[in-house]
Parts: sequence; C-alpha cells; structure tokens
Amino acid sequence: MDFQILDSIPELSNYKSFTDRYFTKRYILNYGGIENNDIMLMFHSNRIMLLSLAPSHFFFKKNLGYSINFNTGKVDRLSNSVKGKGKKGGQQLEPNSTLCQILFEDDTSFKVPSCIKGSLIEINESLVKYPELLKEMPDSDGFIAIILSSITISEAKKSEWLTPEEYLALLKN
Amino acid sequence: MDQQKAIFKLCKGLGCCDSCCLRYLGIRYQNAYENAQTFCLKFQDKPANAEKVDQNKPTDISPPSSTSENTVTSETNVSTDDKPTENVTNDESNNVNPGDDTKTDIKMEEDTSNKEDTDSSNGNVATSNGNGSRPAKRRKRDICTSCLGLLQKDGWPECNAAVKEVLDKKQYDSKTFGCGLSAPIATILREKVICLKIKEAFPDFDERSITTLKESWKWAYGPQLAQHIGIALDSGSVSPLLIVLNMEYPDDLQELEILKTLSPDLFESRSRQRKRFTVEFTRRSVEQALEGATLEALTALRWGSVRSADSAASCVSVVCTRTPLYLGGRYIKLSRELPQTPWLLGGKRMMESSVQDIIFEPLAKAYGMSEADADHRLKFMSAGREDVDVRCLGDGRPFAIEITDPRRELTAGELQQICEAVSSTGQVVLKKLVPVTKEDLTLLKSGEENKTKTYEALCIKLAHSKSSDTTQNGTTPITVTDEDISRINSYRNTPEGAPERIALTQKTPIRVLHRRPLLARTRHILDITASKVTGHPQLLVIRIRTTAGTYVKEFVHGELRRTAPSLGDAIGAPVDILALDVTNVQLDWPNKQ
Repeated sequence: MDFQILDSIPELSNYKSFTDRYFTKRYILNYGGIENNDIMLMFHSNRIMLLSLAPSHFFFKKNLGYSINFNTGKVDRLSNSVKGKGKKGGQQLEPNSTLCQILFEDDTSFKVPSCIKGSLIEINESLVKYPELLKEMPDSDGFIAIILSSITISEAKKSEWLTPEEYLALLKN
Repeated sequence: MDQQKAIFKLCKGLGCCDSCCLRYLGIRYQNAYENAQTFCLKFQDKPANAEKVDQNKPTDISPPSSTSENTVTSETNVSTDDKPTENVTNDESNNVNPGDDTKTDIKMEEDTSNKEDTDSSNGNVATSNGNGSRPAKRRKRDICTSCLGLLQKDGWPECNAAVKEVLDKKQYDSKTFGCGLSAPIATILREKVICLKIKEAFPDFDERSITTLKESWKWAYGPQLAQHIGIALDSGSVSPLLIVLNMEYPDDLQELEILKTLSPDLFESRSRQRKRFTVEFTRRSVEQALEGATLEALTALRWGSVRSADSAASCVSVVCTRTPLYLGGRYIKLSRELPQTPWLLGGKRMMESSVQDIIFEPLAKAYGMSEADADHRLKFMSAGREDVDVRCLGDGRPFAIEITDPRRELTAGELQQICEAVSSTGQVVLKKLVPVTKEDLTLLKSGEENKTKTYEALCIKLAHSKSSDTTQNGTTPITVTDEDISRINSYRNTPEGAPERIALTQKTPIRVLHRRPLLARTRHILDITASKVTGHPQLLVIRIRTTAGTYVKEFVHGELRRTAPSLGDAIGAPVDILALDVTNVQLDWPNKQ
C-alpha cells in the first residue's frame, strides 16, 4: 500500500478558482438606478456572503487614482466587530446602507451599497493598505465585505438576482 | 447491652424485621445481616432454642402480638389478628411507576392476571398481587414497617428471578457484580418516625448512627443473589457490572402526601418551579421536608407512630449495566469523498458513509447490536479530524471508541477480524484495534491540541512571480522555477534558530465561520519543503509540518488574504491547492506502554 499525493493530480483544464469552487455568484445591475453600478454577491454554501464590484461596474473603466473611505459619516465600518459563534454585535445593514465610498482624484465619488438586509461580519481590511486590490482582484482578494443575512432573505435574493449565465447574456446585448 | 435490648424490643414492637432492628442498633457488618435471625438472638430475652422451631416466621418470635398491637393499632384501622388480610389494595401498584426510561431492562408484569399464572411457579410468597378472593400469602403484620420487606427473605426469590432474567438475556462475561437499590421513598418517612420513637424513649439515641437501608440491603440480599446468579458480589466501585433493583411500594405517593402539610412551603416553592423540579417527591425533597420534623407534628398527621404496611415493596424493574469499554487504534482514510463522522444537515445524511460508519459496522456485528443500538452505544472519538476531501495516510489518525454497556470484551482474534472487515472496504484501513483505558483517552484529547501534524499538498502556481526577471508576455507558460522551490525551502518570518519557521495569522476560515467565532489566531509552520512535479511544470508539492489547529488549505491559497502570510507570499505569485493528504499525526497512540 503506497499512496502519494501525486496520485491525486486532477485534470487541470477543470481548474476553478477559490471563489468559483466554494461560492455561488449572483449579480445586480444598475443598483439604485445608477447606470453600471453593478454589484456581485458570492454566497457560500453556509449562507455567508461576500460582496464585490461586478466586472461590468463603471469603476473599472475609469483610469483615475482613487481612495476608499470606510467611514460613512454615521459609522466607521472598520470599527465593526462581532462576538461569539452567533456573530453578535455586527453593524446592521439595510439594502441601501453604504459599505464604503470610492473617491476619485477628480473629486467624483460613488458609494458601494450593501444590497441586502443583514449584519456586517467583516470588512476586507486589506483594502486599507492595498486599495489597488479593488481594481486588480475584484473576484477574490479585492472583495469588499462579508455579510450574514437570514436564511429567508439569502434564499430569496439568491433566486431573485442574476445568475452568471443571465449576467453574461445581458452584458452581450 | 440493656439499652440495646430495649431498643431492639421497641423496634420489634413497632413492626420492624430482624434486619431493621439491627439497623437501628447501628450494627455494621455483613455477617449480622446475612444471618439476621440468628444474630438477633442475643438481643432477645427468650431462650434461644424456642425460636429455632419457628424459622420461617421470624417476626413471630417476639412475644405475643400484643406488643405490636399496643403501638400500632391506634394508628391504623386495620385488624391485627392473625387471619389472612382480605383487602389487599395494591393491584394498581405497578402503574405508579413514574419514569421507566428506556434503560430499564425488564419490567415486571403489570397485568395482575398474568402475575397469578407465574406466582405459583415462582414459589413466590412475597407478592400480594392476588385478588381479594385469594388468601394473601403474607400476613400484613409480617411486612416490616421500616424496610417494607426489602430485607425480608420472602420477597427475595421474586427479585432473584427478575435479575436472572435480565442477566440471561444480556449475557455478561463479568465474574463479579456490584448491586444497587432504588428503594421506595416512603422508607425515609418510616425510618424518620421510628427514629423519633426511639429518641422519645432514649433521648441520647443518635439517628445518624443507624445503618442505612441500602448498606444493610447489600449485606443481606447481595450474598444470596450472588449464589443465585453464580457470580461473586463485589463493591459497586470495583466490579464492572452493576445490577440495580428498582423496588416500588404501592402506597408510596399516598403516604408521602402528608409531607405537603408537614412542610407546605417546600412543596409550594417546588411546584412553582415546575420546570426545575419535575417530580414532587424525590429522596432529596422528602429528606428536606422531614429534616426538623417532630413527633407532635407527625402525630397530628396520623403518623405519631409507624403504620403497618398493606403490602410489601416489590421489584418493578432491574437495570444491569457494565462500565464502558474503550478501543483504540489509528485509521487510514483513502477516500476523498468520505467524512470522518456522519455529515448531517437538518437531520439528513449528506453523504452515504463515513469513517465512523465503516468502523462501527463490523464492531456492532461482533457485539450483536442492531443499527439503532449501535447508534447510541458506540461513540467515536479522535485526535482531530480532516476534511471530507482530505486523505489521512501514513500511520493514520488516532481514534478511540467507547462501548456503552458492553456484554463482554472482544478477543484479539475478533478485533483483528474487525480490522480486516474495515480494511476490505478499500476506503478506510485499520491495522490494529486494542483495548485502552478511560485514562488513555486524555492523551487522545490532548493530541488534538498539542501534537504536530505533517501534510502533503499538491499546489498550483497561478501567475508569474513578480520578482521573476525573465521577460514574460501573455503566452509564456507559468512554471514553477528552481528559484520558487528554493524560496519556499528557505522561507521564514521568525528569527533564525526559532523552532517555528513561519508564524501565521489566520482569521477563522469562511467555510467554518457559520459555526465558530470570528477570531484571528496565530499558528505555526514548523517546517516546509517544496518540490517540482515531473511532467506538470505549473504544479508543486509541499511537505509541511504544522502545530495543531493550523488550516493548511488556507495557508496555501491565503483565503482572500485572510491568512497571512500564505505560500504565495514566499514566491510572489498566487498559489492554490489541488489536493491535500495528512501524512502523519504525531502521537504515541494507542500507547504501547
């Protein structure tokens, strides 16, 4: 009996990225009536959600320097903390709550909405030190926040929002 | 001696059996209770030879029934002559049984008509379950007013038969047993009244000096039970086999009812907290209620002296349990589609099998357990666990199984057969399974927290290294370079010479975040070496040794930078994991002594 890790080499053409392996992706276009304010939500099988900018977001077309502000005026998203197994004490989010604001060099800006009612678990702190991740790796290390919502809301939104196939089909038109 | 004789006489007068008289005298040795009748002679005034004639009527040896009548009649409305008692009132006795849980091995027949059929064959003189038309086999006055018959021989054959039935069914291999008694709670009330009566006559009598019912029952009943079942009586703390007899007395609740008047506050507060105190009368509540009771207070409740008993306590169930056995071993898991334990989601099995299921099956078979039986009598414990898609190779992962109420120990040959049956599945391999002790289990659990683990991971490099000086364009294939390998092999973020090479900060992985708190933990990689994979230029294999609790998959891909540093940081390029094996769980298990 001789087993080695090398007997487990998979077919590399089937390789899927970390987020594609473990998350179901959903898309919302033109959030809040703003054109190309497109958001991606990634649902883990355990109901935990990651929020990112969708590849079609107008942010990616703008070739300007930017900074990210996690202080919404009311609360500082970076001071969020949760306690215990139940993740108690996270900031409460409504669909229109602002997670952060992106400020461009030309003084224009836009807000990233939560899109869903839930509780904020974690803000991607890497963005503070490396804001470029937002542009370079929106699908992975550049995610914005981890959110937890109720089963009912999660399931409802998962079926309401666009699947990757629907999203790609819409983009083509 | 004179006072002892006087107390003996007083107890006899109150309707106590020989053994109970000895209890109130504080006699504390087995011999006395094994032969109570003989032993009692020295406390009696009558010449010894007179009693010997009347062996099977022990209570009649005390002089004329007038003594007992004097003290008892005023309290009871029942005639005290020697005629068989007519109105035997305990037909419903067995229905009182409150909480027979599933552990009860047998229950005595609840149906009186069935009972009658078996009575004669049992030669059972103790039960008074007959109906009124049949002469009761035991006169009421003969039932001890203190122990309700527990220490009286005529009830024992019935108990013996009940124990034997359970043992025959369960077939334990134990050569010894300990025995336990669950006595009717009314015996506490009765004992209290008798103590108060003695104290009334002898003020310096200390009720704490009496021998407990349980203790004397073991001495009196135990040895002859041993003879009946053919194994030796031992202390319950020594013998693995414990036999518990549940004795019930039909008038138990009815007699205890007076305590609510005696100690109204206690029972009112208990009934207000019904969730906490589901049962009204427990040994504890009854003891509390009787704590400061006086003869005057009890007299007002018509318990100024101990009442005669209409029927004896009888055995309603026998529970036999053997202390758990433990088996230890190491399992090798060869499947990437097999969880360690059944994976349940909302009560539904997500995967058909598990390491636990595969090991339990032949074990349950060896013990003749049904699936449902195995479910609650076998318990799986291990030093940590691996994910469904992770294999566990090398010597395997240490684990143990607890077997509740085992009938016997398995032979070395049987254990070997179990290993072979497990290994034949091809998914799990078991090399050996050996008996371990409960104390050994702490080693297993500490292994979960303290021991280091070695893994092998198959990884893929996903982009060119930033530092790479070769000019790349979109078409240059991504390859693992010699430089990558040497960078990993020399990578460290701890001081030179420190036992750990890499200190990691890992946030609770998203995949377990729903059931664990969000924390950033520091973990360590003690050693890491990388090598290229022939024929697969984009792949590399790492061998990595970590402290317990390190999430290896997350170290490799960095989990969206939630683990830092990650393997990719060593080579300046993103890396992902394709497959993972545990190759060694460092723990001396099962201990070879």
